Order: sequence, then structure tokens, then C-alpha cells
Amino acid sequence: MPTRPLEKVLYVEDDEDIQRIVRMSLERVGKMSVEIVSNSTQAIERIKAFKPDLVMLDWMMPEMDGPTLFRKMQQDAEVAALPVIFITAKASPRELEELVRLGAKGTISKPFSPKDLPDQLRGLWQALPD
Amino acid sequence: MDLVNAPEHSLRDEPNLALLAKGREQPDPRRVLADRVDQLYDQLWIGILGAFLLGGIATYELWEPRYRGLVLFWWGLVSLVTIASSWLLVSYRRSRDKLAEADQWLRWLGLSALAIGTVWGFAGAVFFPAHTDEQQVFLAFLLAGVVAGGIPVYSGSWPIYALYAASALLPFAYVLATFGNRLFAELAALVPVFYAVNVAIAYRLTKVFSTGYRLRYAFRELTDDYRALNKRLGDQLQELQEASRQVEESGRKLTLFADRAPIAVIEIEPDGRIQRINPAAEVLFGYAPAELVGKAVETLVAAAARAEFTQQWRPVVESGTPLFAQLIRNLRRDGLEIVCEWTLTPLVNSEGRVLSVVAQGRDMSAQLEAERMKKEFTSTLSHELRTPLTSIIGSLQLVNSGTMGTLDEDVLELTVIAERNGQRLLDLINDLLDFEKIRSGKFDVVPEVIEIDELLRETLLLNRAFAERYKVQLVSSGSLPQLRIRADRKRLLQVLTNLISNAAKFSPQGQAVEVVVEMLRDRVRVKVKDRGPGIPDDFHAKIFTRFSQADSAIARQKGGTGLGLAICKHLMELMNGKIEFEDRPGGGSIFWIELPRMEPCQTPEEG
Repeated sequence: MPTRPLEKVLYVEDDEDIQRIVRMSLERVGKMSVEIVSNSTQAIERIKAFKPDLVMLDWMMPEMDGPTLFRKMQQDAEVAALPVIFITAKASPRELEELVRLGAKGTISKPFSPKDLPDQLRGLWQALPD
Repeated sequence: MDLVNAPEHSLRDEPNLALLAKGREQPDPRRVLADRVDQLYDQLWIGILGAFLLGGIATYELWEPRYRGLVLFWWGLVSLVTIASSWLLVSYRRSRDKLAEADQWLRWLGLSALAIGTVWGFAGAVFFPAHTDEQQVFLAFLLAGVVAGGIPVYSGSWPIYALYAASALLPFAYVLATFGNRLFAELAALVPVFYAVNVAIAYRLTKVFSTGYRLRYAFRELTDDYRALNKRLGDQLQELQEASRQVEESGRKLTLFADRAPIAVIEIEPDGRIQRINPAAEVLFGYAPAELVGKAVETLVAAAARAEFTQQWRPVVESGTPLFAQLIRNLRRDGLEIVCEWTLTPLVNSEGRVLSVVAQGRDMSAQLEAERMKKEFTSTLSHELRTPLTSIIGSLQLVNSGTMGTLDEDVLELTVIAERNGQRLLDLINDLLDFEKIRSGKFDVVPEVIEIDELLRETLLLNRAFAERYKVQLVSSGSLPQLRIRADRKRLLQVLTNLISNAAKFSPQGQAVEVVVEMLRDRVRVKVKDRGPGIPDDFHAKIFTRFSQADSAIARQKGGTGLGLAICKHLMELMNGKIEFEDRPGGGSIFWIELPRMEPCQTPEEG
């Protein structure tokens, strides 16, 4: 379990409405600091600048999809160690298993509850190894 | 009718006619003898009648008071011999087995001929010396006539004739020789010559008759054979005509089937050349029959798939192995590639040789495209519907939770309705997707070891809030500590949640929904009991079928897609379990699920 609480979350998502809801959920309900990235190709740069505790990735995005972005992060030493959680509308068990096999620390399926999202994230955060 | 393995028509089982005819080249001599005896007896009455009449005439002519006693005695002999011979003739006529006793009858006839001949011989020997010259001439003529007349009567057997003629002539010849007259002595010397000539004629006639009988037999048997052969040929011709008619009829039927069949039918030679195609194949590939007949069947296979096709084709023609429902990429005349499902059936003759291959195929392109589109649609539905719903439900939740500040009560009521219906829409989408996956067999069940008590605790926790919304209590009873089952945790939760939410929705306010766990011999049963309206009788049969809801008005009010129980049933079956329901005594229903339980010794934790 990490010693410090979860404070900074970066979310890569192309849908502006969902961006706004996640921001409101995490900032207002979860009292976290949130950075949203719309274009996945700029994600790694922005992660390096924001230095989040945890990264949330959407699966299906134009330009570059979540799994591809995740693999790119794993090849970049500076961000490879960051815990990544996928938020996806794909719900088949096989696909979710595939994400965990890739190294994701957890999955949250869409639609999620913005009321419960901060608690879900904190739960996953606390389950991480130190 | 199996044209290929139709029984062969052959003459193999018919008796060999050539063999049958052999051995008849030499007719049975016993039969020939019997026929000759028969002929002799046929003519015997002429001899008897002749002897009787001539005997009468001679008695009259030779009548001399001096020799009255001798002539009367002779007349008595004639009568005796003719009566005895007549009696012999009658006996022969009445005898049954003329064939077997032919020898015997011939001997009797010989005796009869000897007796008649002796009577004439007696006349010649006794009356000749004692009578006048005129009477001597009469006697000489009489004897010559009797001996000559015996030829047609006894010529069926020359020894009998020889005996007859000898007994008639010898005493007469002896009398002539010893008469003391030179002319008579010379005549006596001529008698043996006369005798020999007559016997020689009789001998010739006997031979001619024998030959005649043999020929008659041969002819009769030939005729019989010919008739039998003719009949057999006629029968076989009829059978052949019938078989030919059947084959023709089958052929017409087959042609009709192929011509009218909606699937493409191609007959292919073992060397891969197209023999003929049906109209459906013409339409499918866009070729006229004349353009394809004689061409290699590979013409119809897409270039990239030819190597694979050759591999599939080989066992069909080499060992006569049929090929079933094989998808093959084909090439139309216009260059368009289509995917068809083919069944290749080799036509094998009784020696196991492949005569031709019948290929039946149908265009699967549209179906495959439809399947691909359905898959794409399902995936799109999953993503494109969930994304906006995430925004709708998420926004409303944030508003309804009060995070964004307090709302006017009327507004809040409306946003709660909006959120609930958003959730309902989401449930419908999830159910539809689940159902589609189950139907296409793409549903994954990931079994794991589950502690039943722990699972029920989680289920109650997750559904408490839902039950409260309907002002229904959720209580559990029964506990099976340590009891484990093997199932997909998420799917089992889905089934139990479905049953509990159904029970809660239909329970009257203030009532309780009970969740009870029981252990059976080798299974675990979880019951969900409610005090709702129960299941109407006419709905019992279709409760687990999709889109079935007992009361659509209630369905609209309470929500639900009508797919829930159908999905539950599929899920339970996928987990080797089952789901059932029964009426609850005192009102309401009991839905229960059953799963095989794990023996304690099987669990890894305790092993």
C-alpha cells in the first residue's frame, strides 16, 4: 500500500462530456487534482509535465487507442512505473483480462458512477504494492 | 435408387444351357427302345387281324372232308394265337410303366410273333403235301404274303421279324425240299434267299425307325430347350426393361432435382474436369454450361485458394472420402470473389473406383457478410451506446447526489426519473449484448472456487439499496460455512441480482424478500422467495424464454427487459447448474438455482 494518499490523477479521454463529468467527480467529490488530456498522442508529454500519481486511459480513442498508448508508456522509462487504470465501454471478460495481462492495475467499466468513482480509484490505489 | 451400386444384371445364376444340351446328342436308348416297342404294339392289331382273317380264308380254302379234324385243329390254333396276342395287346395298353418294362414287353411280343409264325409254318408243313395243286399254289402265295406282310408289322424289331419269318418259312422249306419234286427242291433252295432278302429289308427298316426315334427325341429335347431358353430370355428381357425404366426414371428425377435445386450442383470428372452444371450454378458463377464443360474445376476457385483446394480435392478422388460443408473462395466469371460452402460427394462404383464427384455449393458471401456486420454492430452498440449513457447517467448522478448543490424538489424528482430510465436503458443494452453473446456461443464463463456464504453476503450488500427503493426488506437465512462451489463469480452474482431485483420489484411494500441457502446431497440450492403476485399459470411454460413478461403494464412501471430470466437460464446451464421456480404456499413465488457443490477434500485450500 502506498504511504501517501492519491492526489493527482491524469485522464486521457477524447469525449469532452465524459472529461467534464470525471473532472467534476474527482475534483468535487474526490477532492483530487485532475489533468485531462484529449489527444492521446500528446499524453506522454503531458504526463511528464503533470507527474500524476495515477493515469486513467480510455480504450477507444482516435489517433491512438488506449492499449497502444499504454505500451508506449511502458517503453518510456520516465513514465513506465506509473500505475495505469483503464476505463472502457468494452465489457467482455476476455478483453478485461487482456488489459490486466498487459500490466494495467485495474479496469473500470463505462458507464461508471461519478459518485463512486473517487472511492473506486482510492480502493485500487490502496491495493497497489508499495 | 442407388445408381452407382445398383445390382448388376447377369446370367451367372442361370443353369448353363450349353451343358444342359450336352448328353442329349445321344438320346436315352431306353426311351428309344420303349418308343419302338410302343410302335410294335401299335401295329400288332394289323398282324392279329391279318392272322385271324387269313386263317379264316385258309380254313375255308383248305376244307377237305378227309382232313376235317386237322383243319379244324389248325383253325383252333389260329384262334388261340390271335386271342392270346389280343390279350397281350390289351395288357400292354393297360400297363403303367411301359418305359421300365419295355424289354419285357418286347420279349412277349417276340413270343407272340413266334406263335403266329409257327401257326403259318404248321399250315405250310401239314397242308402242303396233302392237298391239290391249286391248294398248294394258294398255300405258297399265302405264306409268301404272310411273310411279306410281317415286314411292316414287325419291322420295329428285325430279330422278331426274323424269328417270325423263320418259324413260318422253315417248315415249309423243309416240306418243299423233301417232296421229291425237282421244281419244289429248287423252290426250297430259293426260300432262304427270299427269307434273307426280307430280313435284310426288316433290318434296314429297324435301323431307319431307330434313327427316326433318336432324331425325334433330339428334336423334342431341342424344342424343349428352345422353349425354355425363349422363356428365360423373355423373363430377362422383361427384367431388363423394368430395370432400364427404373434407371431412366431415377435419372430423370435426379436431373429434375439438380435442375430445380436452389443450390449449385456441379458434376466433376475424377481428373478435375467439369462434366455438367445445373442452372443454379450457371447463375452463381455467371457462366453458360458450354463455357465450363470440359474445363478444370479450378477455373471456379479463386487464385489464392487453389493450392488449398487441390489439397482438399485429392482425398475425394483418391480414396472416395466426401468433403462436408467446406468454405471455399470461388471466382465468378466477372472476376468477383465469393465464398461458398461446398459438399463434395464422390460417386464410387462397386469396385471402389471414383466415377465422378458431385459438388453441391451455396453462396455464403451474404451470410458471412451479415455475420461480420452483426459482430461489428454488436461491438458498435456496446461502445457507441455506452459512451453517451456514461455522460447522461453520470451527470444525473452527480446532480442527484447533491454534489452540485441542492435542487428544487420538483426538479430533483425529474432528474431522478431521468437517471432511473437512463439506468434502465443501460440494463437493456447489457441484457441484449449478453443474450446475443450467449446465442452466438461467444459467452465466456470463467469458473473459480467460490465460498457460498461469502458470495451471498456480497449479493445482499449489492442489492440492499435496490430493495430499499421498493421499500422491501432483504433477509437471508441458512448458512453453509466453508461450503464451496465452482462457478463464474460475476455471472452468478448477475443471476442472483436478477432474481432478487425481480422479487423486490414485484413484492408489496413492507414485505421481505428471503434468500435461503440449502444443501442437497451433491448440490447447493439458493432460493429467493417473495410475496408478490406469483406467476400466472398460463405463463409458466414461457417464463424462461426471451422477451416474456407476464404483464406488460407492470413491466413498463417496474422496468426490465424481459431478457433477464432467459439470460439467467443460459448462464446457469453454462455453469452446469439449473434454475427453476415454484409457487410459494401462502402467496408469492420461489425462484431457485442449483449448482454442483465441491467436496471439501477437493478444495485447494484444504488439500
